[in-house]
Amino acid sequence: MPVEKILFPTKFRELSFDSLETLLVLKKAGLREVILLHVISREEVGFVPFGGYLKKEEEKRRQEATIRFEDWQKTLSENGIDAHIKIVVGEPVYEILKNAENERVDLIVVGRKKRIEGGAFVGSYTHKIITRSKVPTLVSKYMVQFQWDDAMLTKTNDRLFEVPLVTVDWTERTQRLLGFLMSLKGIVRKAFIFYNFTVDSSKDKTEVARVKAESSARLEKYCEKLRSSGIEAEAHLGSGGMLDEMIRVSRERKASMIMIGNTSEERFLKNMLDRSLSYQVAKLSELPTLLVP
Amino acid sequence: MQEVHNIDLGAVLPIWSLLPFIGMLLSIALFPLFAPKFWHDHFDKVSVFWALVIIVPFLFVYKWLAVHEFLYVVLADYIPFIILLASLYTVSGGILLKGTPLGTPLVNTCMLAIGTVIASWMGTTGASMLLIRPFLRANRHREKRTFMVVFFIFLIANVGGSLTPLGDPPLFLGFLRGVPFFWTFNLFPQMAMAAIILLALYFVFDLYFYRKEGVKKQNNEESREPLKIEGGHNIFFLLAIMGAVLMSGMVKMGEVSILGVHLTFQDMLRDAVLIFIVILSMATTRREVREDNGFTWFPMKEVAILFAGIFLTMVPCLKMLQAGTKGELSFLVENMQEPVHYFWITGSLSAFLDNAPTYLTFLSTLLGKFYPGVEGQEAVLLLIRENGIYLKAISVSAVFFGASTYIGNAPNFMVRSIAEETGTEMPSFFGYQLKYSLPILIPVFALIAWLFYL
Repeated sequence: MPVEKILFPTKFRELSFDSLETLLVLKKAGLREVILLHVISREEVGFVPFGGYLKKEEEKRRQEATIRFEDWQKTLSENGIDAHIKIVVGEPVYEILKNAENERVDLIVVGRKKRIEGGAFVGSYTHKIITRSKVPTLVSKYMVQFQWDDAMLTKTNDRLFEVPLVTVDWTERTQRLLGFLMSLKGIVRKAFIFYNFTVDSSKDKTEVARVKAESSARLEKYCEKLRSSGIEAEAHLGSGGMLDEMIRVSRERKASMIMIGNTSEERFLKNMLDRSLSYQVAKLSELPTLLVP
Repeated sequence: MQEVHNIDLGAVLPIWSLLPFIGMLLSIALFPLFAPKFWHDHFDKVSVFWALVIIVPFLFVYKWLAVHEFLYVVLADYIPFIILLASLYTVSGGILLKGTPLGTPLVNTCMLAIGTVIASWMGTTGASMLLIRPFLRANRHREKRTFMVVFFIFLIANVGGSLTPLGDPPLFLGFLRGVPFFWTFNLFPQMAMAAIILLALYFVFDLYFYRKEGVKKQNNEESREPLKIEGGHNIFFLLAIMGAVLMSGMVKMGEVSILGVHLTFQDMLRDAVLIFIVILSMATTRREVREDNGFTWFPMKEVAILFAGIFLTMVPCLKMLQAGTKGELSFLVENMQEPVHYFWITGSLSAFLDNAPTYLTFLSTLLGKFYPGVEGQEAVLLLIRENGIYLKAISVSAVFFGASTYIGNAPNFMVRSIAEETGTEMPSFFGYQLKYSLPILIPVFALIAWLFYL
């Protein structure tokens, strides 16, 4: 399914517009419309203790957001993309998910656009959104500082769709992931298809070799499927801790983004103690992360 | 140290020790009016400031006695009060009334009547949160909605809460001090009179505007959704809250002393059950139900912070009033003679200060006046037996007068906030009083005062 409509919620933090600009390339893949959403948190304007509601404050914020969005809207329309402005008062996560559903968007773009050393890539709002979203969600990380060996590096993720690392398993989720990837034809220069192979020490060497060969063959099959749809693809088998391997390979291959099936679960406790791989990747990798449910 | 322990604090406290309490209440009254943005962003600091202004010198001068007094007000009043509010708020926030009733005068009046009745059982805050959004949805096609929300505040956010200690915070504080759970049923005649008059007035206004606006029923019918309740199991939790509160008033399980503060096991059990109900309600109610209800912890957090300040700063005031004629507030105790005096003064202060501390203040005044030196619950029971009309006067006025300003009772500002957020113009602080409270509420209260307390 092509990405025709994107929901871009923003708090107008630094580099938000730069992050939006990185999506313009999706026009080649069929992007027609961007919904620019600004949620004025109800708690910031409502429930003044014994007072009521800060109507003037709400109006001021609406006007400010409108002016900023109109400027962005101009850039989008210059690139042939329609942009619709939505400014609402409410609970941010609820409003973002509700608007994504009502507007039937194909992709939600969330996350901090700038992350400096020690900060989190995924805040609590983003975590809730990626946990609950029923549509693909891109955790955008436009500019990041991250530690590699002993060095502190700064990276700008401005061509995120060019060389994605796609983490696969053999489930239905992977089919959806590949489907999404194929919709980006014309934008993706090359895709690394990654599978983490676990060496089972209880099995003999022959059996391990057999499973490894089978995994490689399956990976190659995925690659062929992509190639036949016009996307260059390269298979990579990793081994070891899944998360570390994925991040290692993504760095070695200079991937521009990680795409992964969304494994977060919407359960009270699991949400609090979310150790799901997709969440960990979004949280720990310096690369933009696209989670496909 | 021994000397300090034997002091009758209420008799020795200077009048200026009331300043933090006055400062706290004036902050609540004036900041939302004149500096709402500052208040919204810094109310917690203001509350902490006034609390420290009393706590620091008090601890310095009276040491362990001061610790005891603050601990008492926190453990015996504040914590149970907040737990009850939080449980009613959480459980009622899990009940979602979906759909769009047709906002005709009759339907609206019925909604207000139902809200008035249930407010005593799920709290004025709970009933308001349950009904305000459906009420606004039902009337979104109507031009004049302001008066509707004002009557909603009158009836559901205030008057309706007068029949049980669950209904309105002042009555729960009375319950904590020893007023029996069902005693508040004695307020039924006053409540019924106020509710009937207000509902009748509402119906007349609504009918007038409905006809004047020439509402087209057809258009409205198209966008209507059928009525439906989600999270209905929370109604059982409401019953469980009622049961827990009732139990704590009827069962005797002994008591425990925490740093000299005597707490009963039944009260602790009640609070534990209420906390458990909160957890159960949160765990068993679908998140979407709460989200559609606009449920957020923020108002509860505000109330908890502000009331911490109120409860701590009011300690000197309560002690002075409890000391009766021996304290610095003896002029108040001596000059307030008749029930009608208590009715009007408690009411007037409840309107401009929060009604819960006001009620507690005048309950202490009555106990200091009639039974100085008699232990808490015993004095309350004597008051009910021998001078019950006074308790009725302060109970009715504390609850009813909470409706006469936005700051009289906590749900008023929540209702106002939701109404404004959804596009209903609400009058200013003074506009509310001049256009609605003075011409509508005050005559009704005068009638009640004349019939019941003169």
